[in-house]
Amino acid sequence: MSYQRSVAYTSRRQQNWSRNQNTVAFASSIKLGPVAHTVLVALMITVLGLIYLTQATKTTSYDYETSKIDDQIAELDKEKNDLQVENARLTALENIKKSSVASTMTAPTSTDYAQ
Amino acid sequence: MNLELQHGSRSRILAAFLIGLMSIFVLRLFYLQIIQHGLYTRLANAEQLKRLTIPAKRGLIYALDGKTPVPLVMNQTVYTVFADPKITTDDEKIIDAIRDIAGGNARPKLKELLDKKSSRYQILATRISRLQADKIKAKKLKGIGFQEQTQRVYPEGSLAAQTLGFVNYEGKPSYGIESGLNKRLSGKDGLLQSVTDVSDVPLTIGDRNIDRPAVDGDNIVLSIDRNIQSRLEQALVDGLKRTGATRASAIAVDPNSGRVLAMANLPSYDPSKFFDVKDAAAFNNNVISTPYEPGSDMKTLTMATGIDKGVVRPEDTYVNTDSIQVDDRVITNAYKGQTGTITFQHALNWSLNTGFVTVAERLGDGNNITRQARDTMYDYFYNKFRLGQFTDIEVAGEAKGTIIPPTEADGNAVRYSNMAFGQGLDATMIQVASAFCPIVNGGYYYKPTVVAGVMDKDGKYITDKIKAPTQIIKESTANQVKEMTHIARSTFFASVDKSGFYVGGKTGTSQVIKNGVYSDDETVGTYLGYGGNSDRSEYVIMVQVSGDHMQMQGAMHAMPIFTDISNWMLDYLSVKPKG
Repeated sequence: MSYQRSVAYTSRRQQNWSRNQNTVAFASSIKLGPVAHTVLVALMITVLGLIYLTQATKTTSYDYETSKIDDQIAELDKEKNDLQVENARLTALENIKKSSVASTMTAPTSTDYAQ
Repeated sequence: MNLELQHGSRSRILAAFLIGLMSIFVLRLFYLQIIQHGLYTRLANAEQLKRLTIPAKRGLIYALDGKTPVPLVMNQTVYTVFADPKITTDDEKIIDAIRDIAGGNARPKLKELLDKKSSRYQILATRISRLQADKIKAKKLKGIGFQEQTQRVYPEGSLAAQTLGFVNYEGKPSYGIESGLNKRLSGKDGLLQSVTDVSDVPLTIGDRNIDRPAVDGDNIVLSIDRNIQSRLEQALVDGLKRTGATRASAIAVDPNSGRVLAMANLPSYDPSKFFDVKDAAAFNNNVISTPYEPGSDMKTLTMATGIDKGVVRPEDTYVNTDSIQVDDRVITNAYKGQTGTITFQHALNWSLNTGFVTVAERLGDGNNITRQARDTMYDYFYNKFRLGQFTDIEVAGEAKGTIIPPTEADGNAVRYSNMAFGQGLDATMIQVASAFCPIVNGGYYYKPTVVAGVMDKDGKYITDKIKAPTQIIKESTANQVKEMTHIARSTFFASVDKSGFYVGGKTGTSQVIKNGVYSDDETVGTYLGYGGNSDRSEYVIMVQVSGDHMQMQGAMHAMPIFTDISNWMLDYLSVKPKG
């Protein structure tokens, strides 16, 4: 697309043009009417809405991940707890008394005390 | 933009229609969103915002194995298996699976339960383990569901059952530590308030979310030593077999800290099967909840009072005629024949009532139990030895007992003469054992406790500091009474103790009051003693045996149980003999 000077620009300082100063102004030949503006605004709102929804959904997906991990932790906790209960049962006094080691033990006939 | 539509044109009609329609929408939305805002917000919150309670884990209860905590009460997740008979299809397969996997936890008559097709909920098995539940789940049976719940489990079985108590199906603690320390054990539930999805998964959206984590209950370490507890329980079982008694209780205390090392009662029960108990009396911890007349065990406290006040010494004498007049009553000895001028040591050896009524008289004017004597006895028994008042031990159901003060009409000389040898007052075993500890530890009263400390989150055992004791009698008084009880035991039972150790005690045989009068056919036998070496006593043990219409004697029935435990304790605690 090419542009051409379409408007003669005359400012009050026009007489003193200096180097590197814009001396031309471009005016687009494309004109946007009120309908186009409305559509563009609507599109922008839609895009922003979609971005918001994407982010919100993304956060929610983390919630599901968190929930899943929490469930796993709870399940592992239960397993650990079951093992602790089993360990306590196996080392209970009654089990120790009935163990093969205990059954072979005898009462000492005499006791010496260290001084 | 300026639309110019012709009057009556279709476009104009359409525009008017659309404007009208939009106006209806706008008005309706205004009504719903502005006017009815509060209502719909409430409805939405009710639907989407869930308040979930995060249950706090109930604290565990530990005993000690020497110095190492071992679990006595733990939590375990168990499952109830239920069926929806309306949607179950392969009933035979379900029945086989439940019977094979749940075993004894399966309900009887499963077929009948599944045939109730109009029902939506039938329990097929209860309290099955996670592994069992997983096996049933793996079979993918249609119409079968699981409900999770936590229950208390007892790895040591019925050990210390009455000290522990139990938690019933509604989660309500009953008896023992479970009830006494419920606040510490139960912790504080947390709260999760959040918007949830249809599966109740909490979502972070929304601005009203609350996530307050639960504070789990304390993991309490008891001062109960599981080995001593087990030995004590076994000694009681053996004692009941030997004597034919039907009830027995015992307590072992560390006299140098007030910590209870063991506490047991028979009959007992299995806390995991509390629902099978037919007689609720089995739940009671009689050591703390059943006051009784302590009988001759009290003579040690009367003697300590007399010595501490400087009115008697063990070697002082009195004239024993086997009876003594107090106001309009004549008090006699249970053991007769030790008449003449005898020492108070001799009176203690033979447990002569007259000797201790004489001590009470000497606390007065020498011949009468005056108001001054009664005030002194009350001060010692109630305020110093703390009989007849709560010890505040952490186990639920403690009874107070009764000591009638001299300010009341019933607190007369006759009552106080009876109190001198253990009648006319009610005290619990924990009160008597705690009162006896100062006699063997140099005069210091320690508040009894069953709690030794806690396990922290990292599983580290943190011990509670021993509360500072109160000196209630002089050290010289304590040593004299201790020596008296050592002589009393040695006089009759010297050969039963291991040689080289310093063991002493006092028998007690108490009459039982039934319907307000002393029963002729029932007595309670007790023995209250201590053991260690000559430098230091390591334990105080009190034993009580009784039975309906049974005459139990302290020396004959309770003392052998004490000896059994005492000799074992000397080895277990690695006490070194002296001399």
